[in-house]
Amino acid sequence: MLIKIASRNIWRSKKRSLIIITAVTIGLWAGIFMMAFYNGMIEQRVNTAITSELSHIQLHHPEFRKEYELKYHLPKGRKMLEFISKDSTTKAISGRIVIKGMIASASGSGGITINAVMPNEEQALTNLKGKIIKGNYFNPQKANEIILSDKLRKKLNLNLNKKAILTFQNKEGNLASGAFRITAIYKTVNTPYDDSNVFVKITDIDSLSGIPNEINEIAVLLKSSQILDESKKRLQQKFPKTEIQNWKEISPELGYTVAVGNQMVFIFMGIILLALAFGIVNTMMMAVLERTREIGMLLALGMNKIKIFMMIVLETFFLILAGCPFGILLAFASIGISQRTGIDFSEFSEVYSSFGYSSVIYPSLTANQFGNIMLLVVITALFSALFPAKRALKLNPAESLKK
Amino acid sequence: MRETVIDAHNLSKIYDEKTIPVYALNKVHLHISRGEFTAIKGPSGSGKTTLLNMIGGLDIPSEGFVEINGTNITNLKGNELIDFRLNNIGFVFQSYNLIPVLTAKENIEFIMLLQKRPKKETDQRVLELLKQIGLEDKVNKRPRELSGGQQQRVAVARALAPKPQFILADEPTANLDSVSAEKLLDMMLKLNQEENMTFVFSTHDERVINRARRVITLEDGKIVSDTAPTPVTQEQTETK
Repeated sequence: MLIKIASRNIWRSKKRSLIIITAVTIGLWAGIFMMAFYNGMIEQRVNTAITSELSHIQLHHPEFRKEYELKYHLPKGRKMLEFISKDSTTKAISGRIVIKGMIASASGSGGITINAVMPNEEQALTNLKGKIIKGNYFNPQKANEIILSDKLRKKLNLNLNKKAILTFQNKEGNLASGAFRITAIYKTVNTPYDDSNVFVKITDIDSLSGIPNEINEIAVLLKSSQILDESKKRLQQKFPKTEIQNWKEISPELGYTVAVGNQMVFIFMGIILLALAFGIVNTMMMAVLERTREIGMLLALGMNKIKIFMMIVLETFFLILAGCPFGILLAFASIGISQRTGIDFSEFSEVYSSFGYSSVIYPSLTANQFGNIMLLVVITALFSALFPAKRALKLNPAESLKK
Repeated sequence: MRETVIDAHNLSKIYDEKTIPVYALNKVHLHISRGEFTAIKGPSGSGKTTLLNMIGGLDIPSEGFVEINGTNITNLKGNELIDFRLNNIGFVFQSYNLIPVLTAKENIEFIMLLQKRPKKETDQRVLELLKQIGLEDKVNKRPRELSGGQQQRVAVARALAPKPQFILADEPTANLDSVSAEKLLDMMLKLNQEENMTFVFSTHDERVINRARRVITLEDGKIVSDTAPTPVTQEQTETK
């Protein structure tokens, strides 16, 4: 009976109910779409970071990341590499020598990270070749080739086939330097990364570094992100004296971005729903005040306060639920379309890339996030219902019947 | 001796008690027995509705108390009082009497559903009452699709449905044309006789007063006259 009365009551003032339903539709659409947009943006950033920069897991000498000194390389690194590459969960793997050094040209110099890589393995791991905008990938027949970013090229006033000098401390702490010819220019969506990373072949660095045939970093890309912790644990058991970190540990700021991003989305969603709640409270308050006499009559007839309270709560709930399907439908439709086309912010690509984000965003939403949104909507509905329902409870039947 | 249904003792309702006291009711004693058909009359502001509200447990007296079938309802609070009303008292109000979103049938069964009576019993009773009030063909009509008189008949049927101890009707004919008012009165009188249902009206409608078997006159919150109950006459039951 309560459900019947509450559901029919929402259509007593059609115009008012339609306004609220529209507000719920728009609010829900905006909330879900915004969450999907933000989620997509962060997901893309994380995916880019994993597939292009960090990989899922990295292995180092426990002291290496403190000073980035070459003496802290991975003993038996190549054997570890071989072992991990045979693991069924490994999608791609590569060994590197990572050195903090300087790059110099006739026009200037700057601090950089020199990534001495295994060309084929690196291609499988980070698709470095795919990021090249000019020139060619490493040629196994040629020595001392370097790939640097477009940003760095401009900064140092360099071009293809020009030479750049790399300088760094070798294993013994002595300065080592070499001239490298630019074979390719790359560009990623992450300007800070481009600014500070150059790539050379590991074989060209071997003699300069003082750790021939050694590596100081192993990067592993897993077949699935779901097995990250499990894989890390297994590797740690296998190589207890090696520092093994997942991408969140290697780049904590990225992990924080995800965590903060999730919180931000819920804060935004909360603000939207709070604004919506006030609109609903206002409407339901009006509905209660307009029906003072009727509620008084129900109390007089013997409908107890719990039932009156439930009736108003249900009414508010139905009003919100009536708007939900439209909001959800609209949100899924717009997410579906923009997932295919992407939302292009190319005009602001400089800004986006300076934070490491792509300027074309593909919104995405997980079932868990959708569930959380629906939970928030339910909480909003209950919250919005409380005040009008409480107001209805304060009515005195004798007084109300006079109105 | 007839069974007392309503027993009001020394009832007073005082407004602005601390400043200038206004007596809406002033030391009223009233006993109503089962099966009575009583009209409470008096000019506006004489305290008719206040008295009815006290008897119905809708308002609390400043002094005195009301006993319904031996239960002192003045001591009942909150949901206890609401539940007592639900199970013992039927109400018919002047206007806006029905739940607008429910049909005639749903309005009649409303109280029985609140009482959680079995569906079969409820359906049977509703059907029976719809026949008695002559609205079998309006079962699925909502209040706005019914005339004022038809709405009041549905309201009476709703009040009667759970077979309460008595029915309180606050100016039930006030918004009705004379034909509808007469029809409603005939119906109530018939139910009074057939079901021995106690009716108490507040009214200043002469048509109601003429049909009542007991007429209590209120003035300035006091009972100034109380005609003794009279047996029902042929004229009273006659359908106009």
